[in-house]
Amino acid sequence: MIGASLRRREDARMLRGETRYLDDISEAGMAHAAFVRSPFAHAAIESISVPEAAEGLVAVITAADLGDAVRPFPVMEPRGAEVATAEAHPVLATGQVRYVGQPVALVIAHSRALAEDAAELVEVEYEPRPVVTSPRDSDLTLMRWHRRAGDVEAAFAAAAHVVTGRYALPRLVAAPMEPRGCIASHDAAADLLTVFCSAQDTHRPLEHLAHILDRPPSAIRVIVPDVGGAFGSKGVIAPEVAAVAAAALRLGIGVKWAEDRLENLVTGSQGRGIEGELELALDDEGRMLGLRARLRSDLGGYLLTTTPLPPHTAATLIAGCYDIGVADVEVVGARTHKVPIGPYRGAGRPDAAYMLESLVDEAARQTGIDRVTLRRRNLIRTFPHTTPTGLEYDSGDFERCLDLALELAGDEAQASDAGHARGTGIAVYVERAGGAFESAAIELLPGGRFTIASSSSPHGQGHDTTWAQIAADRLGVELDAIELRFGDSAGAPPGVGTFGSRSVAMAGSAVALAAEQLVERGRELAAEVGIDADDALNWTALAQAADAPLRAEATFRSANVFSSGAYAAGVRIDRATGVLTVERLVAVDDAGTLINPLLVHGQVIGGAVQALGQCLSEEAVYDEDGQMRSGSFLEYGLLTAADIPPIVTGEVQTPSPLNPLGAKGAGEGGAVGALAAVANAVTDALGGKYVSPPFTAEKLWRALREVDEAAGPR
Amino acid sequence: MKPAPFAYAAAQSVDEALALLSEGGEEARPLAGGQSLVPMLNFRLARPALLVDLNPVDELAGIAVPEDQSLRIGAMTRQASLLRSAVVGRRWPLLTQAVAHVGHAATRSRGTIGGSVAHADPKAELPVALTALDARFRVRSRERGARTLAAAEFFAGPFTTALRDDELLVAIEVPAPPRHTRMAFAEYARTHGDFAVAGVAVVVAPGGHAALALLGADAVPVRAHAAERALRDGAAAPEVARLAAAGVADDHRRALISALTERALRTLSS
Repeated sequence: MIGASLRRREDARMLRGETRYLDDISEAGMAHAAFVRSPFAHAAIESISVPEAAEGLVAVITAADLGDAVRPFPVMEPRGAEVATAEAHPVLATGQVRYVGQPVALVIAHSRALAEDAAELVEVEYEPRPVVTSPRDSDLTLMRWHRRAGDVEAAFAAAAHVVTGRYALPRLVAAPMEPRGCIASHDAAADLLTVFCSAQDTHRPLEHLAHILDRPPSAIRVIVPDVGGAFGSKGVIAPEVAAVAAAALRLGIGVKWAEDRLENLVTGSQGRGIEGELELALDDEGRMLGLRARLRSDLGGYLLTTTPLPPHTAATLIAGCYDIGVADVEVVGARTHKVPIGPYRGAGRPDAAYMLESLVDEAARQTGIDRVTLRRRNLIRTFPHTTPTGLEYDSGDFERCLDLALELAGDEAQASDAGHARGTGIAVYVERAGGAFESAAIELLPGGRFTIASSSSPHGQGHDTTWAQIAADRLGVELDAIELRFGDSAGAPPGVGTFGSRSVAMAGSAVALAAEQLVERGRELAAEVGIDADDALNWTALAQAADAPLRAEATFRSANVFSSGAYAAGVRIDRATGVLTVERLVAVDDAGTLINPLLVHGQVIGGAVQALGQCLSEEAVYDEDGQMRSGSFLEYGLLTAADIPPIVTGEVQTPSPLNPLGAKGAGEGGAVGALAAVANAVTDALGGKYVSPPFTAEKLWRALREVDEAAGPR
Repeated sequence: MKPAPFAYAAAQSVDEALALLSEGGEEARPLAGGQSLVPMLNFRLARPALLVDLNPVDELAGIAVPEDQSLRIGAMTRQASLLRSAVVGRRWPLLTQAVAHVGHAATRSRGTIGGSVAHADPKAELPVALTALDARFRVRSRERGARTLAAAEFFAGPFTTALRDDELLVAIEVPAPPRHTRMAFAEYARTHGDFAVAGVAVVVAPGGHAALALLGADAVPVRAHAAERALRDGAAAPEVARLAAAGVADDHRRALISALTERALRTLSS
């Protein structure tokens, strides 16, 4: 079962339309929410005037109405980071707004349309204030992390080459197919707040709501129905969810908020938005002696719970796959008047790989050492490996990934010609996965069937099939004997959540451990009641023989595991127009032992496509007033299937020593490796001239002209 | 993204639609396939008091080739029907090529030719193709009767046409092309199915007919007259392309239009 490329068994239900997403759920007497949102990126709120009556209006709620009933968002503080926790995102705006779209008032009515009508009647008087859109102009640091390892000055003083680079990645939106939403209701008799939430898991919404509403976690139940994608953007609850939950408590009725695409694009937390200045010291043979990195992140107007994490992750991964013992790395997260950033597929990992791999190519150009040779000369080869930023890589075979990527890429690179500038790119990456803990509870049912409650819940990854494969392997039964249960905090064993490429390594390992414990109990019972257990256990007989249902629950805990890979890309740029064509992309990932290679393949393709989006057309564009100019799919350049080049995948399986499955993570590798490889191919095609993504036709056309002008007449 | 309140009336005939539009005045809007108007309603950018739904009006839909061998496209003809039409593919392949770039299969199955034309998005493909084909736009109103406009008269500006509030675009008439006419459409869009950044529609016939219409050169579809003259005089493709793009202000857009003109001329189909 483990290692079998099975098709997702959850797909049949989805293809038949039997899924139940948040907006498919209705409760009797439920009212609907819409938000009055700030039209300004930065302003003081002078007054809010609420209509006394409107058709179907139930209530208008402002921060003043909520008062002490809510607290600002809890904010995570990455280890060693200084975080301005006082700048936490408020539930509803209190006296000021700091980004366009910030929720100012919650309008509840008998339908969403009526709520939107009534929201137009709320009059808010704003006093606009100066707007900061670039982190370079920011006057407030929301987060800072700095780490030095070794004698950095000595390393740079001894260097034969010092190579510098400045790189930038604009912000992106997550654009899940299903936008965010929730339904909150309060059972006064039991004092239980129930929140259906389109979220990545139950644990974090429950924890955030408990903090914001100052309620014991036991008085909150979070149910995650089917979820149509998240990509990191549904890990933290939206401020709107907290407002709706507070309103349900206050009004005593069920309230639904099912956001629309406009709300999702403009007010959903965004990804990337980072720039960096990097310096690499090398000796005369190209050995990397030391690294300096100064990263600056565009965090937005407030801190949501995980806003400080992506820049911290980028900074800690900045030494990548290379054996660099000496480094000075700092990341500053600046306040700007934009929607807060948050994790988006990769969450700092693509940022680090993109900047470092761009710098390594620059080093190859400046030292005259072949880019593959330069990488080989510096790759980490022994594990565990401690990075100068304090991470411990558990395992990997970076060179095998590189070799395989080069082999799959072949030697077909075509030369540039009069019509096209061509380039190839290679990039290696390592990424943090796993960590913390997850649990599983398994129970033997009559007839030799099993239910497993997993602490981790899916939003497209394929948990149902993968978990069943793991359990079937350990229990020695068929896949269809196993039923998985996810997504209800009442009944879910303890866990942390679905994010950061961690689910198989953590929650999958918990399933393996729980199943192994059940096998132990089964053997004990078999011996007790005299059932033959020399070969496979007769679970049907055991279920009959047991006085009480046979159960096992396990929690698996481990340090981070590290996935890695190597990507190669070939591109051509049309000289006449600047139009970029990615001709081929090779993706080699080492996600440890693969439970289901088919689903891993899907994850790699999906991640790579999101990276291609960043390369080709995606960008959250803001004007100088902080208005988002890409607030609909007319402007925001989401790729379509027809825009995707052929992608060749390959796998290396270096088992992690840190979990019983040997698994790592596959959810983000595609997004990490593809961006760096395509970017390096574009820079190669431009003869070393740097252009920041997205590589639009206009940018590349202008860059080619500058390259040609610098080269003189041809 | 729910529309502001509006009244709705489903017209059963052109006469009824014209009556409703006439009575509704500037507060009334006709609803065709809804692929642009409905998002604008949902964004609350358009706030008509009355929507006159043309979807039940069968007489507005359909592709016909009358005796004079011209093409008559009813305003409510779906874009998918135009794409599938064998006679259009055979005799007006420019339209087949252009409509293939309009949105995606799902939006084309609902979106209409008349809706796309009357919306007059300066980045839309069909108005440019129709401009190159010397199409004429048949409009009617209850009070004013019928009139027929050329493209240069019909397209007045970005998202603006010569249609008055009470007027309805009922059909588009495309003259019969001379024998052995060749046509081609080329465009650049950021992503598949997106509106075009730049585009070119070319029609060339033996005996001195040449038409070249540009998308992205101006706020309305424009004919590149100097390039057309050069084409008639037998100029080489690079020269025609240079002339086609010469009047475009933005330098990158000029490069796009020039390159697309060359590509369209290279791929001219008979």
